[in-house]
Amino acid sequence: MPHWQRWFSRKKRWDEDMDEELRFHRERQTAANVAAGLPPEQARRQAVLQLGALEGLKENCREQRRGFWLESLYADVRYGLRILGNNPGFSAVAILTLALGIGATSSVFSAVDRILFRSLPYPLADQLVSFGLTAPIERNEFMLGSNYVDWRLAAGPFQSMTSMLPGVANCDLTQQNPVRLACARVEQNFLPTFGVRPILGRNFSAEEDRPQAQRVAMISYGLWRSRFGGDPGVIAKTISLDGNPATIVGVLPADFEMPTLLSTDILLPEALDEAVQRRSAPGAVLRTFARLKPGITVAQSAAALQPLFAQALQGAPAEFRNEVQLSVRSLRDRQMQDARLASWILFGAVLAVLLIACTNVANLLLARASARQRELAVRAALGATPARLLRQRLTESLLLGILGGAGGCLVAYAFLRVFVAIAQQAIPHLGQAGLDWRVLFFTFAISCLAGILFGLAPALHPPSPEMLCGKEARSTARSLLRQTLVAAQIAISLTLLTGAGLLLRSLLNLQSAPLGLEAQNVLTATISLGAYRYPAAPQQIAFFDELLARLERLPGASAVALSDTLPPSGAMRSTIYSTIEVTGRPRPSQGTGGMVAWRAVTPAYFTALGITILRGRAFTRDDQAGGQPSIILSDSLARRLFPADDAIGKTMRFAQAGPWRTVVGVAANVKNNGLSEQSDPEFYIPWKNEDNQYFRSAWVIVRTPLDPRTVTDWLRAETAALDPTLPVAMETMPQRVSKLSQRPRFNAALLALFAGLGMLLAAVGIYGVVGFSVAQRTQEIGLRMALGATPESILKMVFGTVARWIVAGAVAGLIASWFASRLLQSLLFQVSARDPRPAALAVTVLLLVAFLSAWIPARRAMRVDPMVALRHE
Amino acid sequence: MSPAVEVLQGTLDLLILKTLALEPMHGWGIAQRIQQVSHDILQIQQGSLYPALYRLERKKWIRAEWGASEKNRRAKFYTLTKTGRRQLEREMADWKQMSTAVALILQRV
Repeated sequence: MPHWQRWFSRKKRWDEDMDEELRFHRERQTAANVAAGLPPEQARRQAVLQLGALEGLKENCREQRRGFWLESLYADVRYGLRILGNNPGFSAVAILTLALGIGATSSVFSAVDRILFRSLPYPLADQLVSFGLTAPIERNEFMLGSNYVDWRLAAGPFQSMTSMLPGVANCDLTQQNPVRLACARVEQNFLPTFGVRPILGRNFSAEEDRPQAQRVAMISYGLWRSRFGGDPGVIAKTISLDGNPATIVGVLPADFEMPTLLSTDILLPEALDEAVQRRSAPGAVLRTFARLKPGITVAQSAAALQPLFAQALQGAPAEFRNEVQLSVRSLRDRQMQDARLASWILFGAVLAVLLIACTNVANLLLARASARQRELAVRAALGATPARLLRQRLTESLLLGILGGAGGCLVAYAFLRVFVAIAQQAIPHLGQAGLDWRVLFFTFAISCLAGILFGLAPALHPPSPEMLCGKEARSTARSLLRQTLVAAQIAISLTLLTGAGLLLRSLLNLQSAPLGLEAQNVLTATISLGAYRYPAAPQQIAFFDELLARLERLPGASAVALSDTLPPSGAMRSTIYSTIEVTGRPRPSQGTGGMVAWRAVTPAYFTALGITILRGRAFTRDDQAGGQPSIILSDSLARRLFPADDAIGKTMRFAQAGPWRTVVGVAANVKNNGLSEQSDPEFYIPWKNEDNQYFRSAWVIVRTPLDPRTVTDWLRAETAALDPTLPVAMETMPQRVSKLSQRPRFNAALLALFAGLGMLLAAVGIYGVVGFSVAQRTQEIGLRMALGATPESILKMVFGTVARWIVAGAVAGLIASWFASRLLQSLLFQVSARDPRPAALAVTVLLLVAFLSAWIPARRAMRVDPMVALRHE
Repeated sequence: MSPAVEVLQGTLDLLILKTLALEPMHGWGIAQRIQQVSHDILQIQQGSLYPALYRLERKKWIRAEWGASEKNRRAKFYTLTKTGRRQLEREMADWKQMSTAVALILQRV
């Protein structure tokens, strides 16, 4: 027998037992009464009277039963569901409002949780810091090898400090089925510092981290599973990396991630040669991390490093000294960068929506509570205790909360999918965001809290007997509360709308900012040659020459070019402005002058990307083949180097050992630091066959009158004809550009979504409040009309009250927007937070919506039939 | 009949426990016994007797069993449990203390 059936049958037997016991009592009392001399009929009657009201007595007995509260809960829930079912409109609006509010909150909480509050996969992760130098040219901490070897000798504020080479390098697993992998080179104490232990095998030994040591490697869990089938015998196996043997010594845990968040397949020893680093100062650029001693804060550690920093500065070139700074950041801060501000704003926006949703439900419940006063008064008169009534109403509100919460889970799931779709690449870890149990708990807690709160607010006024006669006590306090809530909703929506307007405006600016190139009809592909098959320059040059020749023969390509890097963002070569020498002019000695970007390009580069040559000419085959060394400057660099006269024909060099180059042309400025950042000045040199450092990887740029996607197959086929094992990553230029605005688009889309949601909820709220007040005042309106009020004057009366509150809310909202805009400023591109237009637009839209949603129910007041309204009494 | 006094709030439990300390008894019997022993001074509200019995049963101070009454009719008999006996001693001690205190005040003032 199912459990609940057993429970019911036991309950039935319990009732029967009680009945029999009371019957026995009655019989004995009757017998006693007869013995005392009463006639039988009266004796029985007396016995019943002595026992008292039977049903009340039984109920009192039942209350003593174990599990009684569960029964009454069951009854309350059943009654609550019936009440909800009787008012489908009210229930739908309330549940939907809660579901939207809770859903939005928990989806954002899920996303933000992964970004802001995610626990890093290292033990005692709060002790981990990224430390080193920062400069205007590199905002992430780095160190120079010559300094680092000194710093690591001094104990400092750290338990241990460790280093790795920046970024990851391509490396090829050159056995059967060669694959391209990402290799990182880390110091011997890298894993111990982060508190990570290989799940199989061991970490590098100190000997293995020496230069010229036998090569060893640790492989990632993913590589171990996919390449070695999770074989535990993989330890001590030798693999061939870029043609050189390396012995596998360990397998990393599944949740291992690099502190830089770059995905990595293989860890190799850094093999830093201390003597070489000292001799060839400044030495290699390193990423440096450390674990703080317990109880030391980030700020204290930075202070403790100051002497070392001062010492290091003395050895630095003069132009660096003013720009370099010491920086210690928690690892979390380093990983978050600017996603943090965006996340907090998102969080704020969603809390605002939740607030609006909650006020809405509160309003609905308040309104309904007024309408149910009479019912409650009847229940109280029939003997329900205040506590019992309170519990009944709390149950009803909780039911709403739970149903809303369940709907909220669905909404949250849908929203989260949308977030991930919009900005998977732009925001680290967003892709892994899922609705985990903590988030569900959060949702549930919110919905229950909301339920209790809204249940309590109306329940605080116990029903009074006067309500029985149907005269509703005109509780002005309560309607004041409702109208204040409406004003608050308007204020919050207005703030959201203004914020969304600012971000959308900024997004528009960003997307219409001139790039300096024509992105349409351009296909780009990046190809990087493995060190094993293409060990030296001749093979690399031969490959790219052949590829270029093949592509130029393609029918669909109007221009084909090669370059080492590609705008408008991403890696590029750069040099320091002050190292550029111009013939007949001393080098500037003050400061570094910032960075100057440069690229090596083939002659068709400017045609292929649609970059205008402003003066002079583009490169020719002669420049490439080794005539006079030439250079093309960007407009901004030309103006800066030669403010007074024409740059064409001047000679200059940018690396002390490099050749003197003649300026042959000036090209239009091209964005090279992404869309929103200031672009660096730039110059171009010809892609030349005798320099052997450029050719390991290159970008292929194809301009085509066709749809760029049709060219992808040709490009792939041509590359495969040369080397079928080469991976080619292709992307059209418009795709590349649109990726750059992903983060701003994410911010703007979300804020707009929430602003829209907030406005919708506010509109529902206003509609509900006005509608309710019209319904409540039907009699009054009828009376006024009977006394001669025109429908127009009624409309004015109803509408006027609401309008006052809406305007009050709008004024409060404008003030709040003013503060909120300040917070957004750093996310804005070419929009001032003081720009009044978004706020003005927001006010207009909001007032329109608000008045419309007040006007619809207010019109109903006009159509009140005085006869019907008065007969109601 | 002498004027009846209603049982004080809270003392009903004590009276029931004390009555059951003698022998197992059914509900009606308990009411009768209390009335008799108090020389009809204490009048038990029959309506409050049964909820009290159920409450004491839930607290495991008394135990209920169906048995045959004097007239061979099925009736529910209540028995004092071991914890019930301890509770009775506790309540009796409390009661004595309180009534002494009340008596003292009534004499002095």
